Amino acid sequence: MAKSKLLKTFTEPLGKNNPVFVQILGICSTLAVTNKVQNTMVMVLGVTFATALSAWTVSLLRKLIPSRIRMMVETMIIAAYVILVDIILKAYYPEMWKQLGPYVGLIITNCIVMGRVEAFALTNKPLPSLVDGLASGLGYAYVLLLISVVRELMGSGSLWGYRILGSWWTNWAIMIMPPGGFFILAIAIWMIRETVGKEVSHA
Amino acid sequence: MSEFYKERIYPLLFMFITTVVCIVLTAGAHILTFDLAKANELSFTRRAILNAAGLSYENTTLGIEEVYLASVTEEEGYYTAIVDGKTRYIIPLIGPGLWGTIEIMAGLEEDLTTFSGVAIVNQSETPGLGGRIEEPWFTAQFAGKQGPFTLVEEGTAAQAHEVDGITGASRTSEYFKNLTDRAASEARRIIQGV
Repeated sequence: MAKSKLLKTFTEPLGKNNPVFVQILGICSTLAVTNKVQNTMVMVLGVTFATALSAWTVSLLRKLIPSRIRMMVETMIIAAYVILVDIILKAYYPEMWKQLGPYVGLIITNCIVMGRVEAFALTNKPLPSLVDGLASGLGYAYVLLLISVVRELMGSGSLWGYRILGSWWTNWAIMIMPPGGFFILAIAIWMIRETVGKEVSHA
Repeated sequence: MSEFYKERIYPLLFMFITTVVCIVLTAGAHILTFDLAKANELSFTRRAILNAAGLSYENTTLGIEEVYLASVTEEEGYYTAIVDGKTRYIIPLIGPGLWGTIEIMAGLEEDLTTFSGVAIVNQSETPGLGGRIEEPWFTAQFAGKQGPFTLVEEGTAAQAHEVDGITGASRTSEYFKNLTDRAASEARRIIQGV
């Protein structure tokens, strides 16, 4: 019983309760970082880490946190984890940190992190909260990676920084710019909902 | 009293303790990795100097340090490097970009006009557009040429004074060009005092 419930907690954010294409959360970062697969990868790893651990921490403290200041406490915890990510990148992956500097800090304001903490971690035990945070991060991750593959391929003719398409390909500058993210995201949401997710489109 | 404690004191105490714990954790991590982060930053600057001087090196902290210490001399406001028996001058330049400042190292030959290379130390241009000034092909165009430069459409530079601009980043290309155009006069000012 408990195990199947845990499994459900894990699979829901990946499919019918996906944070990006069902809940439409975390859109700002979807637009900002998905123009390069590499940037996207670091962003989604950071978000997954921050979501899972903040959810776990808040869940541990859920009976102690006074409800009127809970948002301040949550933000503080999330910010601490994100700053840790930033510090670790700066020290051990300086090359990546240089490219992503401003984006890492933006994880703090990612709605998915706060959203899962508020909607799930405050009322559930630590382990399910950790699983829920992890799965939400992963659900966010694969949608973003998908979008970034399309955008980098069309916008720069490359993947992970390596040129894939030949010199005959003319880069679509719009794919690199935020509007390109809007278009691809909207098309992706439409396609997913029309095909695999028909029953959830009114969720 | 207990109501007062629960409504006023407890939230305050809780917030205070959470804050202290979070600060101790992040500040601790910062202090623990401070030397490493500092070394990385130094290594980035040194790598830019080597790139501007046209020196080759192994792309690791140690590899960069080895070549740097062997061939680069730090002078007042600039650097010199001996490459194939000739002195090259590396001038740090800083100027405006589209979003923030752009910091570069401009390497010049003995005549103080011909570029040996250009390397970026810091920039915060739009990733994927202006950010492409970091791409090797863009900075490599300046080597062996003399300013002032003329920007042409991406992929069409043919003349000695022409460099390719970046499609979708005309303003950043322009700012970068202006910065490199300052290199020669800046070098004469710093090195020869004129």
